[in-house]
Amino acid sequence: MRGLRGWGAIGVIPLLAMTACSRVPAVSRPAAASLPNGSYELRLGKNLFHHYCQACHGETGAGDGFNAYNLDPRPRDLSEPAFQKRKSDAELADAVRRGGAGVGLSPLMPPWAHTLSSRQIDEVILYLRALRKRTGAPERSADGSTGRRLPSVER
Amino acid sequence: MPLKRLFAATSLLFLAVLAISPAKSALRSYRSVQRHYRRVGMVRAKSLKAMRDYQERPVAIQQIWLRDFDNRVDRCTTCHLGAADPLMRDIPEPLRLHVRTAHTPEAFDQFGCTSCHGGQGPATSTEEAHGTAKDSGPPMTPAMYLEAGCGRCHGSETVPEAPILSRGRAVMARSGCYACHSVRGQEAFRSEAPPLTSLAMKTGGMWLRRWLHGPRTVDPNATMPNFYLSANEIEELSHYLFNQSVPWDLAKRIQSAEGEPAGDAANGKKLFAESRCISCHTVEGKGNGSAPELSKVASAATRGWLLAFLREPHAFYPSTKMPSYRFSDTESRDVVAYLEDELRDFEAPKEILVPLRVNQTLAENGEKLFRRMGCFACHLKPSGSEEKFGPELNGIGDKKPSSLDFGRRTDLARTLPAWLAAKVDSPRSFARGLRMPSYELNGEDKRAVVTALLSLGTQPVPEAYRFAPPRTAALVPGGPVGALIDRYRCLSCHRVGEEGGDISTAALTFEGSKVQRDWLIDYLVLPYSLRPILEERMPVLRVSREEATQLADALESFYRDPRIPEDPFAGRPGSDADVAEGQRLYGTLGCRGCHILGSSGGYYGPPLTDSGKRLKPGWTYAWLKGPQNWRSDVRCPNYGLTDTDALRLTAYLSTLRSAPSSDVAGGAR
Repeated sequence: MRGLRGWGAIGVIPLLAMTACSRVPAVSRPAAASLPNGSYELRLGKNLFHHYCQACHGETGAGDGFNAYNLDPRPRDLSEPAFQKRKSDAELADAVRRGGAGVGLSPLMPPWAHTLSSRQIDEVILYLRALRKRTGAPERSADGSTGRRLPSVER
Repeated sequence: MPLKRLFAATSLLFLAVLAISPAKSALRSYRSVQRHYRRVGMVRAKSLKAMRDYQERPVAIQQIWLRDFDNRVDRCTTCHLGAADPLMRDIPEPLRLHVRTAHTPEAFDQFGCTSCHGGQGPATSTEEAHGTAKDSGPPMTPAMYLEAGCGRCHGSETVPEAPILSRGRAVMARSGCYACHSVRGQEAFRSEAPPLTSLAMKTGGMWLRRWLHGPRTVDPNATMPNFYLSANEIEELSHYLFNQSVPWDLAKRIQSAEGEPAGDAANGKKLFAESRCISCHTVEGKGNGSAPELSKVASAATRGWLLAFLREPHAFYPSTKMPSYRFSDTESRDVVAYLEDELRDFEAPKEILVPLRVNQTLAENGEKLFRRMGCFACHLKPSGSEEKFGPELNGIGDKKPSSLDFGRRTDLARTLPAWLAAKVDSPRSFARGLRMPSYELNGEDKRAVVTALLSLGTQPVPEAYRFAPPRTAALVPGGPVGALIDRYRCLSCHRVGEEGGDISTAALTFEGSKVQRDWLIDYLVLPYSLRPILEERMPVLRVSREEATQLADALESFYRDPRIPEDPFAGRPGSDADVAEGQRLYGTLGCRGCHILGSSGGYYGPPLTDSGKRLKPGWTYAWLKGPQNWRSDVRCPNYGLTDTDALRLTAYLSTLRSAPSSDVAGGAR
């Protein structure tokens, strides 16, 4: 390869003028192309959420799944923006992994570390983030989620 | 002097000619991509050493060589340099980190790129590699059908991490595609369409015309596709079908049932509910939906036929999934009275069930039509000849667009996925005279079917890459017990090994190691709802106690699993202290979140109020040690219990009985 580069250098001399103009990167780099990395992962996360979490946490993560009514404390509203903001991915993953009892909360949230792989847990967290409720004023959660104030499940 | 000048000029020219090839290589687009990667890497590197590594990366073609996968060479990573580089998470393509899948990024070296994505691995220009250049080979699989790539190696019906592919395969099986088209691995497929022999005594001409006009408008659960028959064709086919002579013994049953007195609809309603018909059928959309909608059934079939069928369904339809309920003559009359009272089309004209007076000429034309349309592929079981009515589908995923007939469809992109999508959507839009019917699939199902079709390659992938999870052979006893299992069609809902339906969540594969014999006998005689949240529940089949005992004994001896210990306590049953500790664990683990015990608890899992009577301790223990070992998608989490804790919990659960006693109350809260 080094040899080739050398050759290139010699060859380039007479063609320098031409080459200099065409040094624009040939691959297009779309300006704001920050596409969601992994709609596939998100889709798997959604399937996992629907399979394992929905019964208690509800379709939209609002904590209103059909099994929620038998639970005391009620499952937390995962879509609440303030909650989403407060928790890092690592904290959420830790709660999924060790369950409520593992992080000092209600044992009704089971630990999933022995059931789901860490990849699957990451996928679920990815989907949890997508469940974040989008209100007019995302920073102030009070107005958007007044109807969903649940008894303090946590702290 | 001029010679010298000439020499100088030619040497300059020679030098210039020599420079062409290296210059061309220096201008290849991948080189600027690689330099860009180097820059990004150097900026993002976490350490000086890592930065230096990026800096020293030579600009060169990268490739993955899969010796045992047809000597595949994938040079995609020449541009997609960040595919396995976590630092490239949010960089635009081509440098972006590959999404995490079961195989990536850990196993790029083993699977390469084109094995999933398609396209031209050895090419080093974008257009050629992606297959968008004029004369390049087959292009990459479009993102929306990407799971087709999974299906090349994963041959089994369901692939957990490829939900679209799995759905496509399920839709194809349900739609009966394999009845007309041959596909590798589906050789044993048999259509579930009913035989048409008793049709002339079952329904009326008007109903049949409506059905043939659009099966799904008559019954939303129908699997029969729409053949877009003209009024003439409908007429001819109807006359042909009504011209079929009903076998003598069936005709006799229907006729004698016709003459019976009316039953008691109120009792019929009660029987209908406890028979749990909606575990398979639907009534106004409520129910499982794998069998016909029943809300208008009494306007689709005559009273005599319904009665005769209910009493002996297997005589009319040998391969039906419907069990033969042990109704008494009066009870079946009551059920049919209920159907006639409430489950009929109140808007249908009175003559909807009047038989057609057959016109022989029309019937003869109808017979030709029956053959020309391929109706026989589903409705008559093929005898001997394995010749299929439609073309083979193996290799359809590798077809070149130039070999496809686009016919009238000038609106389509000249690509295989576009052609397949149009074919699935409106199969007859390509030319006149095409015979494939329309399955009227929704958008999701269409996408899924195209994905499944694109996964059908000409050649199977090399042995080393083929993946099929181990199959447990179904073990079904013969003799009188086998006859009972057949009569009650246990396998329509329950799985045994890899066979049987999945309507029930409880496979029978290890039932003998799981439940207690005495409980099972009572349950077979009078089942109750173990999972109240499900619509699909065990029907009251009216099994006699003698039959129930026979079945329970057979399950007890046949369906055992050596992994489930007979006595998990190894001769040292749990002490009172163990039971108390188990009870404490039940509370601290949060089992009550899903299970009912006593008067409280969740609705998700089966109630445990009776678990001591129902379950064998060995099963409870084996389950607690890993629920997913027994059903891979079960929601009950594996708590990672130690042997001691699992034993204590088992000891506690074994004490639970529904009889009013003090030890039930404790664990509930």
